[in-house]
Parts: sequence; C-alpha cells; structure tokens
Amino acid sequence: MSETIKIFHGPQHPGVTGNMSLELDLDGETIVKAKTHVGYLHRGFEKLIERRTVIQAFTIVCRICVPEPDPNEENFARGVEELLGLEISERAQFIRVMILELARLQSHLLWLAGQGASIGHEVVPQWAVGERDYILDLFEEITGGRVYHMYIYPGGVKRDLPDGLLERLLVLLDRLEARLPEYDRIFFDNAGVKKRLQKVGVVDPEEAIRNGYSGPVIRACGIDRDVRRDAPYLVYDQLAFDVPTESDGDAYARALVRRAEMVQSIRLLRQVADRLPAGEVQCKLPRHRQLKLPRAETYVQTESARGAFGYFMAGDGTPYLRRLQVRGPSIVHAFTLLEDLLVGAQLSDVALIMTSLGICPPEIER
Amino acid sequence: MAWNLDIKGVLHPFSALKQGFKRPHTLNYPLEKRQDVPGYRGFHVNSLIGCVGCGNCQDICMNEAIDMIEPLAEINPKNASGLVPRIDYGRCCWCGLCADVCGPGSLRLAGDAIYVGPDADSFLYMPRDE
Repeated sequence: MSETIKIFHGPQHPGVTGNMSLELDLDGETIVKAKTHVGYLHRGFEKLIERRTVIQAFTIVCRICVPEPDPNEENFARGVEELLGLEISERAQFIRVMILELARLQSHLLWLAGQGASIGHEVVPQWAVGERDYILDLFEEITGGRVYHMYIYPGGVKRDLPDGLLERLLVLLDRLEARLPEYDRIFFDNAGVKKRLQKVGVVDPEEAIRNGYSGPVIRACGIDRDVRRDAPYLVYDQLAFDVPTESDGDAYARALVRRAEMVQSIRLLRQVADRLPAGEVQCKLPRHRQLKLPRAETYVQTESARGAFGYFMAGDGTPYLRRLQVRGPSIVHAFTLLEDLLVGAQLSDVALIMTSLGICPPEIER
Repeated sequence: MAWNLDIKGVLHPFSALKQGFKRPHTLNYPLEKRQDVPGYRGFHVNSLIGCVGCGNCQDICMNEAIDMIEPLAEINPKNASGLVPRIDYGRCCWCGLCADVCGPGSLRLAGDAIYVGPDADSFLYMPRDE
C-alpha cells in the first residue's frame, strides 16, 4: 500500500484564484483526495446589507466579486426595481447591457491571463492584462472607477455616457477584434497549450445538469444554457447573439467557449452602440431613508462571465432589506465540481483546473 | 501515447516575436503621466462658501467615514450647524453617494487620487476648499 502525503494548496498560492485553500492528499504527483476550504475572505456582505438602507447597500454589492462586479450591481438594482415596481428607461437598459458586456470581456481577458500563467505561458498574461486595461479606461470614463464601478443604480444608471464615448468604444472593439487572431496564434492554437489543456478537468454533461453548473463550464459540455437567452433581462431579447458551445467538456473546451463569448460580446456591444436611444438614464427616487421596500420577495438572475449569478431579495416594509442571499456560480464549481475533478489529476494541473472553472472565492463567502 | 505533430501549433506562437518591433503600451512613468479623466472619483473637495452644514453626506455614508467638525477656515454664513465634513480615508470607499446627496452641490469628488503619508492620522482629510 502506498503512503500519501497531505499538502495545502493555498490560500496564498499564486496559482489559486483568490483566497481559498485546497487540502490535497497526494500519492506521488497524483491527487487521491481533494477538499476545498473557504473562509479566508469572509466579509459578511449579506449581513452588512441588512443593516444598511437600499441605497447605502448598493455600494457594497459590487465587492462580492472582484474580477466582475457589474452582474452584482445589475442583480441588486433589478431586484430593488422589481420589489418597488420601478420602470427604467430604455437608454438606461442599453447602457447597462454595454456595461455588462464590457465587464464580460474584461473578465474573460483576466481569465485568459490566469489560464496562461497557470500553465507557464508568460506572454499571454502580459497581453491580456494590457488589453483589459483599455477596457478599464473606458469604465473609468463612464463610471468614474476602474474596478469597482458603483454605476448600475436602482432606477437606472448613475450618470449618462460622456461625449464621444461610443466612438471610443467602437475603436476599442475594432482593436480587440483585430487582436483575437493573434491570441489564437500564441494561445488557442498553440500545440503546447493544447497538450496541457486537452483531456484535463473533463466535466460530465449529465452531472453538469444534475449539480447546476453554469456558464462556460456547462456550455463546454455541449449544453447551451445562458440566462441572457433563456430568461431575458434588460434588452437582451432585442439583441442578436449566439450561445457558443463545445462538446469535449475539458479545460480546452472551456477556453474555446470563452474565446467565442468574447466575439459575441463584441457583437452585442456593436449593436448597443448602433441602437442606443436617447432619453433619461435615471428615474426619480425618494431620499434614501424614505425608500421603503414592500413586504415582498424576488429572485433575479444575471449571466456573469463565470455563470448564472442569482440574488434572492426580501423586503419587509422598511428601507432595509430583510434578507439578501447571493448564489454565485462558484459555490458549486469550487466544492461539488472541483473536489471531484482533482481526484486523479496531477499536482501541476491544480491551478490550471481551478482557473478553467473560473472560481471566484469572494462570491462563495459573501 | 500517440504524438500527432501539429506544425502550425508549434510555429504560430513565434508570431509573438513581431510584437517586439511595435510601440510599447506602457508609459515611461514618472517622465510620462496619464491624462486626468474627467469624472474620475478621487479625493473630495468642498466649497466652504457653499456648504450649509446639513450633514446629509454624513447620514448617507454607509462606512461612517464622514464626521461633521468645526471648520478651520471661513464658512458660509448660512451654514446652519456651523460644521463641515471631514473624511476618513481609512474608511471611504469612493462611492460618491455623499456628493450625490449634497443639496448645494458644494461637496464633490475631484480627479486626483494619489496621497502618500507616513502618519495614519493624516488620512482624516479635510476636503480642499474650492
């Protein structure tokens, strides 16, 4: 009988996508048992929000996910609007789609950087983070912040787009579109990358449905599920886009799905720039202590770059939310899925598999 | 294990070398600096001649980063409380809600956002008067 050794991968390992830890039992280089530990990043968002008025709480929700804060803002704002019965203008809806798709693009570029770094490909992280910075420049202009935007606000968006923004957006989209074939040459078609990513971290489609996986993880198994198409919100039902899928279910298939999603996001952003209507961007709201939520509850969902992001929200007739429950995609990906995928994998593949699932610990410990 | 030679996949990554002849995307800091972005949420400024001392900014601040304190300079004679906001940058999250609720529009966020100081108390910041 061989002896196993136990090591902790994280919470301060450069290959871990955030502050979480994996307890691994190793037989040589092969993992025989994996256990996920979270709790290093607990900031108690759900409880903090119960003690703050709705308007005050809106500044907290974006911090639930660092790489992609905007789906949280959208969920929170839409939940409050559903509880209050607020109608938001079409212009605000188009601007929200623009923000969400830019967020998806920058999140995929950040994933690309992480995926490259996890297999020792040191060129693509430099490129992707550099490219992402151009998107953050646009965010800075639109919202006033680079990472945490605090822009999608109950009743619309915080402020209108600056002058000439759409032209700069189109220049950026042209630039990104021209760069994608270069990423193909150095990363997606790279023989070394294929060797590392193919047949690693294979997800079974039946299990994916049974356990509620979402985002690129489920789409890479050939199941085309996307909240934007299946339960449309904002103006997604008026815009044309495809839901890309792959059939292999491995890390490389997830990479290809994300690559195709970047193309679809660019396509959506072009449509938004083309069809952006004029009008108000924010409806009138009462002062923050007078904004009382009715005794009702709602569940809203947004398709983030990592999967379906849901918020359950309940009001109780006061300016405070009685309960807010965040259900991010990472909770099943980091526990149910990752613990299974790692059994039989090599130690050097741990960071690779984690990154390919797009696990984000802050949304697990909200 | 079968090995299929993927010539394209081996040669194509070398196309990255041509990037070496292109202009860099980074700036030669500190000789070159980024242009300020209008609308960026940086440090607070407060026009003392406009501030009415209502405390709305203190009320809405969800981080309790704003204290209303005695001013050191001349203030608006219509300032009801005789107090003006002071920001604790150890707590501020630059959400801008304080500027949104400022009735007279005296409190706002300026474009500059770089401050380095060895004294933690200096993060209790009196907004610049403008």
